[in-house]
Amino acid sequence: MLKTLNKYKAPYLFILPFFLLFLVFQLIPAIWTFYISLTNWKGIGTPKFCGFGNYKKLLIDNMFWDALGNTVEYWITGLLFILVLSVLIASLLNSDLLKGKAFFRTVTFLPNICAAIAMGLIFRMLFDENVGLFNELLVFLGLEKVPWLTSTKYSRIPVIMLNVWRNTPWFTMIVFSGLLNIPRDYYEAATVDGANKWKQFFYITLPSLSNILFFCSITLTVDSWKIFNESYILPGPGTSNTSLFQYMYESGFNIFNMGYASAIGVILIVILAVISMVQMTVKKRQGEL
Amino acid sequence: MGYKNKKNLASFAVHGTLIMISFICILPILWMCLISIKPTSESISGFQSILIENPTLSNFNKLFSMIPVAANFFNSVFTTVMGTVTSLFFCSLAGFAFAKYKFPGRNFLFYFVIATMLVPPEVGAVPLFVIMKKLNLINSLWSLVIPRIATAVGIFYMHQYISDVPDELIEAAKIDGCRDFGIFRRIILPVIKPALASWASVTLIARWNDFFWPLLFLRKQVKYTLMVTISLLPVSEGLSTPWPVILSGTTLVIIPIIVLYLILQTFQKAGMMAGAVKG
Repeated sequence: MLKTLNKYKAPYLFILPFFLLFLVFQLIPAIWTFYISLTNWKGIGTPKFCGFGNYKKLLIDNMFWDALGNTVEYWITGLLFILVLSVLIASLLNSDLLKGKAFFRTVTFLPNICAAIAMGLIFRMLFDENVGLFNELLVFLGLEKVPWLTSTKYSRIPVIMLNVWRNTPWFTMIVFSGLLNIPRDYYEAATVDGANKWKQFFYITLPSLSNILFFCSITLTVDSWKIFNESYILPGPGTSNTSLFQYMYESGFNIFNMGYASAIGVILIVILAVISMVQMTVKKRQGEL
Repeated sequence: MGYKNKKNLASFAVHGTLIMISFICILPILWMCLISIKPTSESISGFQSILIENPTLSNFNKLFSMIPVAANFFNSVFTTVMGTVTSLFFCSLAGFAFAKYKFPGRNFLFYFVIATMLVPPEVGAVPLFVIMKKLNLINSLWSLVIPRIATAVGIFYMHQYISDVPDELIEAAKIDGCRDFGIFRRIILPVIKPALASWASVTLIARWNDFFWPLLFLRKQVKYTLMVTISLLPVSEGLSTPWPVILSGTTLVIIPIIVLYLILQTFQKAGMMAGAVKG
């Protein structure tokens, strides 16, 4: 054992930092979260064990269910819009007809560089009921002004728009690199066989992208369940657009109910684990078919 | 419709759609820059906000008097630069070990690294805060650097790239008497420059834009990063929202990173070109 360790000292040493950091800043906190969730710890004093009390409270907490519902809405809308838009934009960027490719690639990537917090403030002004450009546009089109951020009905829309605006470019880039890897002779053969552009898209492009789109949907899912910045900087009335993760932060660090916040953290871990397992199983099935 | 016409129409549609998308991409940024140089006396509502008659820097002056911009700017630069440099070093080092050494448990450990991506560290925010407090890192910029000097994504990315480096290079270095870390420093690092450049631009942007961790770990205004400090602007002047001042703050946060990205992008291309010529 010691002999092996000595022989392979270098590689073990090189990968050691990651495992140490993972242990201290990820694994121990994850396990500790589960322990704290079983106590009524308020941030100071000794935590008192209370079993599943926090989880029982969560079940009847409307604010928790609001936050869960909002997060699901961000997840589904994000997945749908971002995947469709990124395939569309990547295909356009990859078109043979396009002139000035480098320019368009750079410009369409810019949203991803801008911080969600800064853009959230800008969106807050764009969606302002009185001075915002969006309402001005609605009035110009002869429609009524909309109280975007002050009504429970609309306050999630700016959050979704910010999320889609900022994250589409990243996935566009990934899909674009996938498009570059599809052999050109597939398309040439299809053209010879008389398949039009739409048929080529559905029978060649989309199937070839399936692995990449699967990868995108996993990352998008994990990211969506962690949505925080967008809803934090674009607050609506009450919990109308609070995300689950934001509700965890507020329970823990505004109200100092650490036990409760940790219970939400555990639920997030469980949800993410279940989703990734389902996705992995689906993937495996597809592979076998 | 003839073939030529059809092609022209398609080309028109491709360019038209992309111009529209580009417009949506830059409009908020452009609009922000315009408002930030607008005097308070001019209207900021609706379409009139685009017309600037007397451009001024007064909003920036006001911003500088409201928050310690210099200190916050330094904090952002420090965490971004330190975070990026350490991440480049440790991720490529681990990526090198996984790509070029055969050691017991390598595959298992590598899959383990990838699997860790599925548990976001954010869910352990409460105990993480306690750990940081015990380590005396609350209000320290190192709290933002240390936990992420070696990340799973970074190791995976570097592993993919270093796997393509020919083994002969390493063998030759070994014959010349180069030891493990020497090979990494003298052979691997120079060869993977393009990968380092692109990983650097990804990390720089992520660190600069980071918000949750600084919000959690930094509890004094002089210790805030720019991102935390500007998030507090809307509440700092009472009832009437000082929009032009807020947007001058966001300009200060967004423009430097865009400029840096554009510079790095040219480097990235140059790096890849150099690699192609040599390879």
